[in-house]
Amino acid sequence: MKKTVILCSALLLVLWGAAIASAESQTELVIAQTAEVNSLDPARHNSITDVNYTIQVFDMLYILDEQSKPVPRLALSHRIVNPTTWEFKLRPGVKFHDGTTMTARDVKFSIDRMTDPQTKALFASFWGPIKEVKAVDNLTVQIVTKSPDPILLKRLSLDLAIMPADLFQKEGAEKFFQHPVGTGPFKFVSWTRNDRMVLDANEAYWDGPPKMKRLVIRPIPEAATRLAELQTGNADIAPAIPPFLVEQLKAAPNATVQSVPGGRVMFLYLNTLAKGPLQDKRVRQALNYAINRKAIIDNVLKGSGIEVADCLTPYHFGYDPSLKPYPYDPAQAKKLLAEAGYGKGLKLVFNSPNGRFILDKEISEAIAGMFREVGIQTEMKVHEWGSYVQMMNAWKLEDIGYIGWGNTLSDADGTFTPLFTPTPFSYYNNPALTEKIAKARTTMDEKARLGLYREIQKELIGEAAVGFLYEQVDHYGISRSLKGFHARGDEWLIVYKASR
Amino acid sequence: MGAYIVRRLGQSLIVILGVICITFAISRVVGNPVVLLLPAEATEEQRVALMKDLGLDKPMYVQLGIYISKVARLDFGRSFRSGEPAMKLLLDRVPASLYLCFAGTLLSVCIALPLGIISAIKRGTIFDRVGMTIALLGQSIPGFWAGIMMILLFAVKLRWLPPSGYGPPQYVILPAVTLAFFFAAATARMTRSNILDVLDMEYVRYARLKGVPERIVILRHVLRNTFIGILNIVALQAGLLLGGAVITEFIFSWPGIGRLSLDAIYNRDYPVVQATVILAAAFFVVLNLLVDIVHIATDPRIRKQ
Repeated sequence: MKKTVILCSALLLVLWGAAIASAESQTELVIAQTAEVNSLDPARHNSITDVNYTIQVFDMLYILDEQSKPVPRLALSHRIVNPTTWEFKLRPGVKFHDGTTMTARDVKFSIDRMTDPQTKALFASFWGPIKEVKAVDNLTVQIVTKSPDPILLKRLSLDLAIMPADLFQKEGAEKFFQHPVGTGPFKFVSWTRNDRMVLDANEAYWDGPPKMKRLVIRPIPEAATRLAELQTGNADIAPAIPPFLVEQLKAAPNATVQSVPGGRVMFLYLNTLAKGPLQDKRVRQALNYAINRKAIIDNVLKGSGIEVADCLTPYHFGYDPSLKPYPYDPAQAKKLLAEAGYGKGLKLVFNSPNGRFILDKEISEAIAGMFREVGIQTEMKVHEWGSYVQMMNAWKLEDIGYIGWGNTLSDADGTFTPLFTPTPFSYYNNPALTEKIAKARTTMDEKARLGLYREIQKELIGEAAVGFLYEQVDHYGISRSLKGFHARGDEWLIVYKASR
Repeated sequence: MGAYIVRRLGQSLIVILGVICITFAISRVVGNPVVLLLPAEATEEQRVALMKDLGLDKPMYVQLGIYISKVARLDFGRSFRSGEPAMKLLLDRVPASLYLCFAGTLLSVCIALPLGIISAIKRGTIFDRVGMTIALLGQSIPGFWAGIMMILLFAVKLRWLPPSGYGPPQYVILPAVTLAFFFAAATARMTRSNILDVLDMEYVRYARLKGVPERIVILRHVLRNTFIGILNIVALQAGLLLGGAVITEFIFSWPGIGRLSLDAIYNRDYPVVQATVILAAAFFVVLNLLVDIVHIATDPRIRKQ
């Protein structure tokens, strides 16, 4: 009798535990992220992983939609008072998680803090054009820029979290960020570095309370483990699934895959600053004609790529769909090399990182093989990512370097200024082009800006400023029971409208 | 004994100082963290300001002097990435690492000791051959492969255990087994070797000649006299386990010191790298000291010396 009671109690306990777990998991959403956030303080943020924490706990004035168009969030509307002054009307009645109401003073405080040189925010360069913020009244803010800035709204959408001024000033930064308070769809509960961040639904969220009552973000750097968590039902969203695991993901009964063009463009740096064959346009064009982009995408990337004409994608303002990629034409490549005086062959150094981008080393080796077909011998040098960045940043790149560019602001300027004007990351220097890029950066008229970027791109393609490759396609593993989540090309994980 | 401990601690401080200087120099040679911290769009002014803020604009010998004087005051600097105190970041991870290290060592010892003892006692038999083959397999199989295979089998296929994470015992089993694979194998082989040495000793042969039952020969004479050697091996393995768990922590998303220091190395987060090395060096020093104390306490020959 005693044994029966004990056995039944044990069974009940197990069932009860399973029921609780099941109930919890119905309203809990788990993201298996690729890395840990740097810090809960946006001033220490420098990657998309960091941004994906900010957007849960905080709101920005604007956010970008899936076509990279700014959408009002804490701002309701804006008007351009003059080319360097923007006025924003704020959304009334928005509450911070501590119950206080968001006003223009909080907006001014938050933007001032992040643009203050004393704060040393790592993303500060993105907000560099902001000169001054004025709180005109409780719900009106004016932002003055140093020069006309057509992409101010996009700057305001990038990690410029609006924080409660009073609470922040009372507690100080260190205490505030132990338990950050924002207006976002989720409230901060706890964070154990490299284990998990736990956030609870903000039932008073101005855009409607999230249907999922708890959000857990777990940094799981190993892709196979992320996939395993999805397959076992322990995770609902797993970003950055590599192409070679996609078939396995598709075969999983409780998971599905969302594939989106990633907005990250891969290309080959060609060092035109150092004396050598790459200073000859014909050699650079030959390299572009020698690359069979379709073969790389189909065979190495298993279809996870889209050929691009230059370094922009449809996500980026300035993209021109009429521009076409270099065709694969090894005969033309040989012809150009002969015209340039390299008919007998050429030797170049080919640098690649290892594991930083999807199949970077493998793709570099494939491209090196294609170069060999047209008479260009390469000496392959593979680098650890940290060393690779040091080398590129100091203009020490020898000849060719495989690289990817994410373009955080989804605007042509975010690619062209760092890559094609004299910056530490640029290996192409053309004063006339530099001037055109600077003009486009401060042209407020959208049509005129697009015209300038069309000219710039035509020149970059004609001059073969870099070796153009492809746009990366990103794969997200999603639990089949999850509804209302859409993977985005900018890798933002907007989950507050998701449900089961 | 007290004087011995004080002398050993003094020697240890010199070792740790040497470790600090070497790590300091090596980490600064392999690269500048500023280019990894700032986005590509950062201005030159930002880069220069950050270099200055992190103290990296000074000559290396000045930086080293400042660092040592701060360490003497138990200030190990702040992480370049998160801004948090470097040693606090590490110490927060110590419980997770110790938990995994303890579980891995326990599993490793539970597998290795019986395997090594039986292989030694039954030298040349099928037990010995099977035992050493298992040990060879354990040492040959790469940890990252073993870990991922176990996730696929026990988590995905059988659903017996969670694939990753930190928490109650079911979370530590797979990472501990992954760690134990390699270390149990090495420990088993060294245990076997130790015991074989003792089995050949005259006093063991004499005990057998006297007609002492084999069970007593093994328990009282052989194992008792190999205890210190085996303890040395286990202590060394435990130390290696703490440092060698990097890959295991990465695969199983275990929030230990290994994963933190790996990230710090990739990101050239010097203060965290240096704090890790100091902590690891201190750990080894203390561990070795404890083993020596046990050695003195249990070996009458050394006590007499």
